[in-house]
Amino acid sequence: MSAGWRLVDLASRLLERNEREAVLGDLTETKEPPGPAVIGVLGLALRHQADPWKSWRPWLAGFGVALPSSYLLMGASLSVAWSYMRLLCPELLAQASLTKPSAVLVLLWHAFLLIGWSWSGGFLVGSISRRTLWASTLLCYSPCLRCLWLFRVESLSRFCLLLFLLPAIWGVHRGLRMSGMRLASALSVALSLTLLMIPTWSDGHWRWWSAPQWTWNWALSLPAWYLVFTAWRARTDSGASGREVTINQ
Amino acid sequence: MLGEFEYLLITAAAGLGENAYGAAIREEIETTTGRRCSIGALYTTIDRLESKGFLVTWMGEATAQRGGRAKRMVRVTADGVRAAKDFYQAVTRISRNASWTSNRIGGRAL
Repeated sequence: MSAGWRLVDLASRLLERNEREAVLGDLTETKEPPGPAVIGVLGLALRHQADPWKSWRPWLAGFGVALPSSYLLMGASLSVAWSYMRLLCPELLAQASLTKPSAVLVLLWHAFLLIGWSWSGGFLVGSISRRTLWASTLLCYSPCLRCLWLFRVESLSRFCLLLFLLPAIWGVHRGLRMSGMRLASALSVALSLTLLMIPTWSDGHWRWWSAPQWTWNWALSLPAWYLVFTAWRARTDSGASGREVTINQ
Repeated sequence: MLGEFEYLLITAAAGLGENAYGAAIREEIETTTGRRCSIGALYTTIDRLESKGFLVTWMGEATAQRGGRAKRMVRVTADGVRAAKDFYQAVTRISRNASWTSNRIGGRAL
């Protein structure tokens, strides 16, 4: 195999298995020179990558959910880590005027919110942008890397910023396998998150330079409510009982 | 309605019948139109037409001429035939009074 055809073979690895077989066969049959063949194969791979971006879904998943949520969820992760630290350190507990049981409750409250927000965001990203998941992942990880680099708090490990990743990856995994959630499941997740957010509603005041915490909490809850909306629409469209749909891929 | 290239592809595939597959369709389009047809445009259009239900594709047999690789065979569906017919009739209707159609010379009907 010539160097040119090795390049064609390498470029064709970007294609799906059957398509790769057909394309390489066509190029061999028509005795295409290696130069135009590489360009053709790369062009096809590029078109495949660009095709899903004609829809609004990858844009919503990447720029509407993955990118902003990763910033906000790093803040929520920090809050969980801080609640845990407070539990371990009696001075911090005293400063916050909390007893140990109430500090445990605060930690659980923050942890449930973090898991719920991360999972529902991940589920939404996984279910609406399967073919562009690589882009959503990049958009989620790039702020993480930046914040990991800049994070300077002696008492906390910088990796506490990434506590949200595990539930988010779990959500993505579920979202990839299912096209949507059952209405009852989606509603219970969204309502639980909203109820858990109630204690933060009185927190802070509007200032032009910093919105109060509850507005960010609402932003993080939007994926869960979007899942409720899509489950409700799927149910009214199909008239079915709202069974979870499993995608066979 | 179909796009121009989609119409060319469906028509070439319909003309080739049982022998319609990627390389053959590409050659048919290139020789008939005199325009280059990139492999990227061909396969993305095949995918699009298949998702619209105008084509069905399957993997055919491998030949030595193709380095032992399989062909992606193409068949036009009834919906595809209907869409191509609609496109053809629209082009024929809109061209009726055009100066370059066979029954007119210099903008006047013969």
